[in-house]
Amino acid sequence: MITQTNHLLAIGLFLVLAAAIASAGEDPGQTADQLTADEIVDNAMRVSYYQGADGSARVKMTITDPQGRVRDRELSIIRRDDLPKDEEDKNDEFLGDQKFYVYFKRPADVRKMAFMVYKHVNAADDRWLYLSSLDLVKRIASTEERTSFAGSHFFYEDVSGRNKEEDVHELLQTTKSYYVMKNTPKNPDLVEFAHYKTWIHRKTFIVVKAEYYDDKGEKYREYKAVKVEHVQGYPTVTRARMTDDRIGGYTDVEYSSVKYNIGLPDKIFTERYLRKAPIKYLR
Amino acid sequence: MGVGASIAEFSVKRPKLVTAIMAQLTIMLALLAALPSIWPETFKSLEPLKVDTDPENMLPADEDVRVFHDNMKKEMSLYDMVVVGIVNEKHPDGVFNPVSLAKIEELTKFAKGLRGEALFGEDLSADDPRRKQGVIEVDIIAPSTVDNIRQENGAPKYEWLMRPTPSTPEEARAVRSKAQRIPFLNGTLVSENGKAVCMYLPLTSKDLSYKVYSKLMQKISEFDGDEEFHVTGLPVAEDTFGVEMFKQMAMSAPIAMLVIFLLMLVFFRKIALIISPMIVAMVCVIATMSLLVITGNTIHIMSSMIPIFIMPIAVLDAVHILSDFFDRYQATKDRRATIISVMDTLFWPMLYTSLTTAVGFGSLALTPIPPVQIFGIFVALGVVLAWVWTITFIPAYIMFIKDKSLENFGTAHHAGEPEANSALARLLAWTGRATYNHAKLVMLGVAAVTIVAAYGMNRIRINDNPIKWFTKTHPIRHADAVLNRHFGGTYMGYLALEATLPDETPQQYAEGLARRLSDRARELEDAPKQREAMELLSLTAEQLSQAAESSGQVLSALEDLGITSQDSAAEAEDDQAYDAWDEALAFVALEQSLDQIFKRPDVLQFVADLQTFLPSIRRESDGAKLVGKSNSVADIVRTVRREFLSGDDSDYKIPATTNESAELLMNFQTSNRPRDLWHFVTPDYGKSVIWVQLKSGDNNDMARVVKAVDGYVQSAGQPPGVNLTHRWFGLTYINVIWQEKMVAGMLQAFLGSFLIVFLLMTLLYRSALWGLLSMVPLTVTIALIYGAIGLVGKDYDMPVAVLSSLSIGLAVDYAIHFLSRSREAYKRHNSWGEAVGSVFGEPARAIARNVVVVGVGFLPLLAASLMPYKTVGIFIAAILLVAGLASLLILPSLITLLERFLFPKTKKCCLICNCTTCIVSTVAVVAIVALNVHQFLEVGWTKTAWMSLIAVIVLAQVCFFVGRSKMCRMEVPLTDEGEEQ
Repeated sequence: MITQTNHLLAIGLFLVLAAAIASAGEDPGQTADQLTADEIVDNAMRVSYYQGADGSARVKMTITDPQGRVRDRELSIIRRDDLPKDEEDKNDEFLGDQKFYVYFKRPADVRKMAFMVYKHVNAADDRWLYLSSLDLVKRIASTEERTSFAGSHFFYEDVSGRNKEEDVHELLQTTKSYYVMKNTPKNPDLVEFAHYKTWIHRKTFIVVKAEYYDDKGEKYREYKAVKVEHVQGYPTVTRARMTDDRIGGYTDVEYSSVKYNIGLPDKIFTERYLRKAPIKYLR
Repeated sequence: MGVGASIAEFSVKRPKLVTAIMAQLTIMLALLAALPSIWPETFKSLEPLKVDTDPENMLPADEDVRVFHDNMKKEMSLYDMVVVGIVNEKHPDGVFNPVSLAKIEELTKFAKGLRGEALFGEDLSADDPRRKQGVIEVDIIAPSTVDNIRQENGAPKYEWLMRPTPSTPEEARAVRSKAQRIPFLNGTLVSENGKAVCMYLPLTSKDLSYKVYSKLMQKISEFDGDEEFHVTGLPVAEDTFGVEMFKQMAMSAPIAMLVIFLLMLVFFRKIALIISPMIVAMVCVIATMSLLVITGNTIHIMSSMIPIFIMPIAVLDAVHILSDFFDRYQATKDRRATIISVMDTLFWPMLYTSLTTAVGFGSLALTPIPPVQIFGIFVALGVVLAWVWTITFIPAYIMFIKDKSLENFGTAHHAGEPEANSALARLLAWTGRATYNHAKLVMLGVAAVTIVAAYGMNRIRINDNPIKWFTKTHPIRHADAVLNRHFGGTYMGYLALEATLPDETPQQYAEGLARRLSDRARELEDAPKQREAMELLSLTAEQLSQAAESSGQVLSALEDLGITSQDSAAEAEDDQAYDAWDEALAFVALEQSLDQIFKRPDVLQFVADLQTFLPSIRRESDGAKLVGKSNSVADIVRTVRREFLSGDDSDYKIPATTNESAELLMNFQTSNRPRDLWHFVTPDYGKSVIWVQLKSGDNNDMARVVKAVDGYVQSAGQPPGVNLTHRWFGLTYINVIWQEKMVAGMLQAFLGSFLIVFLLMTLLYRSALWGLLSMVPLTVTIALIYGAIGLVGKDYDMPVAVLSSLSIGLAVDYAIHFLSRSREAYKRHNSWGEAVGSVFGEPARAIARNVVVVGVGFLPLLAASLMPYKTVGIFIAAILLVAGLASLLILPSLITLLERFLFPKTKKCCLICNCTTCIVSTVAVVAIVALNVHQFLEVGWTKTAWMSLIAVIVLAQVCFFVGRSKMCRMEVPLTDEGEEQ
């Protein structure tokens, strides 16, 4: 299985146990070599978006435009895997629906603006927005996946995870440390790239780099994981940069206070909590 | 023997030497210019040919308005745009049918790829900067590249306006109705009548626009069907003009040459002879243009016309020589003696005519417009060159012609019909008699015509428009007309608004902030945690005040403190403290937003009101609407607000609070094209730009809008506590500025050269009266030409302005020739009544031939596809004709009336002894100096005027005393005077 999501890690911060893969004391390299492209992508997906049952992080985005002007965003993101009630996910292999809650802290004049997503693997996401100035919760239509995330160089999809079924994934090359994947969209009309390549770390399955190419084969966009830390045993990207030559400039993202398995209650992912933010979980 | 004869004698003795020098010099200059242009690598130290077709360069690069324009373009990421309009008049839905939209989409895809190799049509290495040059894909405005926001089942949604391309008529119409709901798109992307679509292709640099234009035209030619494609936009017009300009240069100049050649053939009937002026003209053009290139100057719109100006002037003197030679040759049958005597007669008039022409053009160096300065200087140079080669080469050339082949040259050719009996000669003789017999009547007529001309000059409309440099049938001009009929306007004027807050140092601000915080803390006695938070902030603000660098810095420090404190409150699960810090942060946010002025409701309302005002601006003459529409951040906020609330027009309103605009604008940034916002406002929300779409690129229309907006802003009043300043930029506006400078500059240049020419004339004739006399035809000519421009309603634009200097040069030429020959004739006959007949013989014929040869020679310019060339063609012809007529009618009439004063029996021995002449010349000199002092030392007019007055008084006294000195007591009989000729 695969993944679409490489870059997405960027914001994504929720990592997972890579343990399942490297299990039984086998040499991870050897095992991995036997993985199919799809399996590699699935693992990367898991590491990028599904580690633990839930997670939270503080995110600082620094957007630098082509003229060198800088804009800051600070927000908290919490995530909960939407495990069917009677199921268990002992090995953290779940790759299904999820719920996200994004809470804005900066700039100060959008404080308390909040954004909630029910991510569905087999259907369009449900999204809601809370505008604190109008005390208004609005459901948002969700056809476009590649709209900007809060004016940054990241797309919405980079944050929530691109559905892996949207691309065809090929393993181009296995280097000493990386699987180099080529991902080609099944419907090129929906995206601005012709294909993108990902460099997935063989041991941790972290997407370390992603490059986007246009139909002339020119690279125009690049994601790079800059710093990886182990949090509660989960390899976690804590700093990353997205550069986009077409737009110009780049966005740096930094994750702090990353936590996994905090036991987020399902009820906080509701309209009520959009109006009254679940402070406790958003530190 | 005079100087003229000596020079001619030298040339006649050494014709080969003279010719060799001329040829070698010219070839050397041409090589110096051509080599580095053809092999730039080999001749690095030399200047290659540089072409510059950018009217922006009418102003120096460091001119305020250009610096501001460049900075704002950069700050707002604005680019020059190629505009592609697609119209379908046949289909009931216009272009909003699947077939047309598919073509538009195909063209959009094609345009997206127009950069790098695809645009330049050659392989580019990986690090070639041109790889990234061309159309800026992400900023293209086209149906499939713009974002739409609308509600779907009550849920707001961003979506590409047209993806995928519609396959049914319903879908196609839906694209239209969606676009028309978005204020930014309606009237910009989609026409208000729903028939047409306009694409905007931003370019990395506007000098690529001709390349992009050509590629688009090529692609468009592949389409067939009912759609019309129109490509235009100011950068396209400017760049295309540059390309066509060279075609015109290559065509017009040679055609003019050919016509001049044919006309001379008609008059002189001797090919061998008339080749010589052609050679002189060619040599002068080549040498001047080479010098222009060698000195590192660019070939600009103006300088491209240098050859066309030099040619008639270069031919002019030669025509005088040939004309005289033609008339006199048969008397001696000796080419050597004839040419020496002709040169002796013509030397001084030719020197002065060349000098005055050079002065006329040289004075353009006084204008504040670099390309016009270059133009003036180099035409002046060409004129001097023409003079040098005319007086040296023409006599030399005549020596190459065998006496035998000249056998039939001149009058004797028509044995039964002496030249003096030709139709032209008879007409001229009759004219001469008429001016003598009816001098008063002639002058009365002139006065009447002048009054009409003065009325016309009053009506002159100063205006220019680069699009109108093309003829009406040119595709660009046609496209412009069609698109401006359908859309809000293709001429973009950008109105920058900048907000400044009351003058306060960061320290003062921090102290004030600390005070406001502690005031707030005192109000919060009942809420101890909140008070604590406020007090802490107040304290921090005070501590920061000493080292504060900006209000923003202080505020972010407070914000940091607030967020950390809130975090620890959350950590400690102290809900009360958390809420208290929430309030504190809200306070900080409010303070911050004071800085971010263009989020404030009152300021946004101000912008929106200004936008409501814009379409009400009308042209004064015909009441036409000038502004089609405008776009601003206020439109974006209101559109997003509408779709986030009910989706109904009732919610298309400026938000009630700053936070609300902030949230809506943050939401806009989650769209497909968040960066569009930064074309309207800076990320710090301190500056904003309104895009004003004008329907006309006429400078005076833009000027009208500028004036109306100034008035509006003044009367509207400012939002409280803010000082909003507004300033325009954009190409349309820059054109207005250089036009203003040009008009003022031209006027000064004209005055300057008028005065210098007058001084030269006074010097030439040793008399202020004669000086004034020679200025009369020129003054009347200019009055008539510009009066006619005013009456006909032709805009006074750049070419017309420049022609005023040509008028001075050419018009005074005829006067000089006429007056010099008149004085000569008077000396022989001692009575004007008798002299007039001989003046209207050979001299008048030379003038008349000149008018016809040069005037008609330039009429082929009327066939040019560029208006400035047409204008120049028609005006050169008109100037020559009027100046010729004015000289031949006015001068003899005035001489008849003023004979007593013009030909006194005695005369002061020395120029400065004549008190009137002395004082008049003095005044002229002082005026010239004052004009230059004012211009170059930037001394105010009042000061200059006072200084001039003092200088005039002092010098007048000097004149007075000199005039009474012993030396000047003597009077000499005029006839004994050692005259010029």
